[in-house]
Amino acid sequence: MSKTTALEISNISKKFERPGRPTIEALRDINLSVKQGEFVSIVGASGSGKSTLLRIVDGLTQATGGTVSVNGKIVTRPGKDRAVVFQQDSLLPWKTVIDNVAYGLAINGVSRREREQTARHFINVSGLQGFESHFPHQLSGGMRQRVNVARALAVSPDILLLDEPFAALDAQTREVMQTELLRIWEEEKKTVVLITHQIDEAVFLSDRVVVFSARPGQIREEIEIELPRPRDLEVKRSATFVAYVDHIWKLIEQEVRMGMKS
Amino acid sequence: MTFWARTYDFLQGDSRTSSLVRVAFSVAVVLLIWEILTATVVTNSLLLVPPLEVFAALGRELANGNVWTNGVATGVALLVSFPVAVFIGVAGGLILASNRLFSLTAGPMLMALYSVPVVALAPLFIAWLGLGFASKFVIVSLVAVFPVLVTTEVGLRATDKALVDAARSFNANGWQIFTTVTLPYALPYVVSGVRVAWARALVGIVVAEFFGSFAGFGFAILAAGQTFDTATLLAYVILLGAMGVIGSLVFESAERRLAPWRHE
Ligand SMILES: Nc1ncnc2c1ncn2[C@@H]1O[C@H](COP(=O)(O)OP(=O)(O)O)[C@@H](O)[C@H]1O
Ligand SMILES: [Mg+2]
Repeated sequence: MSKTTALEISNISKKFERPGRPTIEALRDINLSVKQGEFVSIVGASGSGKSTLLRIVDGLTQATGGTVSVNGKIVTRPGKDRAVVFQQDSLLPWKTVIDNVAYGLAINGVSRREREQTARHFINVSGLQGFESHFPHQLSGGMRQRVNVARALAVSPDILLLDEPFAALDAQTREVMQTELLRIWEEEKKTVVLITHQIDEAVFLSDRVVVFSARPGQIREEIEIELPRPRDLEVKRSATFVAYVDHIWKLIEQEVRMGMKS
Repeated sequence: MTFWARTYDFLQGDSRTSSLVRVAFSVAVVLLIWEILTATVVTNSLLLVPPLEVFAALGRELANGNVWTNGVATGVALLVSFPVAVFIGVAGGLILASNRLFSLTAGPMLMALYSVPVVALAPLFIAWLGLGFASKFVIVSLVAVFPVLVTTEVGLRATDKALVDAARSFNANGWQIFTTVTLPYALPYVVSGVRVAWARALVGIVVAEFFGSFAGFGFAILAAGQTFDTATLLAYVILLGAMGVIGSLVFESAERRLAPWRHE
């Protein structure tokens, strides 16, 4: 059974020109293809261009070279087929939870009744019932990140792009959020591209882990994670899991060392 | 917890009652010091009179309708010129924030005008525009416009880039980004500018009325000063103080309502 390709990244490169200062080469010749419904994680040292790649895929940043296509169509700007969850808090602080979740729908001209209905559905999916009329500053970091995920899901994208969504959370909350994300992914059947610097998070969640080299970001290795699904936290103690983590850890360590030498 | 610890907690709390108690307390202290001063150090009633006499004068002015006449003159001038100043300030801030070149060109000049005590030019305006409403209008608008203009521009430029990215990633167009992100983000800044502008407008109106008018709180203060009626003079100062405090409280609560996340 060969699934269709949801996301095709071809020869993407990105240089940041900075007047009066050396140009930064953030990405070099990235090729990556993600299948419909696949969960792919990207790990790599900080500064290796992971966020830049995600922004290019979303259409927020223009690549210097190469193309991104989603369901066969070349990306030139953000679109309804993709949605991002940023690492940084990006909820509108003056809007309630429900209005934040409905925000993308409001931008796209969905009627108030319909968007509230949709928002309520994803508030339930994300375990935010009872917090509809809270403001973001009244929520914990974990809750806020749920709202971010719900807001992205509400526009029903084909591809969910997550940029270190749980990095700011404490270890326990992060584990809870990981299992929640797995559950939502299985229920909603989305294609997911997740950026993380937590290797165990990448292995736990993904079908495939893509390891970036240090700057300029290039794909160092792709690793198929052949752990059975559905997965629960138990799997993190299995020998296979530990071996995957160990392998990826060594790759990144080498990259960081080489980065420090040059 | 001891009685004192509980009292302390109550007094430094956020509730409406505790803030009322705090205000009442500070007013009482000021009145007490004032009373003691007039009883001991400053016994010359041309310089300072005890609080009770001032309140008596206030009662007299209320009863004979002078407060009303002067209040209408000052109030109408403020109610017309202040909103105009706010409107022009916001519009100017929008223009400056929309264009870097404008801002760079006009910015230093505006900063200079903001720093200059415009009230010093009051005699000049009165020479140009005569006694009465027109000169009050120009002076008040001129002193009040700058804080609004500056904070509006700052607020519009302060926008959190992450919020703009989120909006863009939902395919928002420029107008949608402006109305759903930039503007709401700037609003509390604008209101804080309006709050500063209100305090300046009160100074502006009093100075304008000193130099050129036949009615108004400033006129009444000057008239009382010229007849050495210190009690009446202070009565009008207290009224102006009350207007300042009320305005400040109103705009502060508006700020709080518009940006509750900044206050926790
Ligand atoms: N807008 C930008 N202008 C200039 N340099 C940038 C910009 N965005 C990212 N960079 C640079 O590109 C490199 C990759 O950044 P990023 O994609 O954020 O890495 P990662 O997410 O892997 O930590 C970094 O060196 C960063 O400083
Ligand atoms: Mg990043």
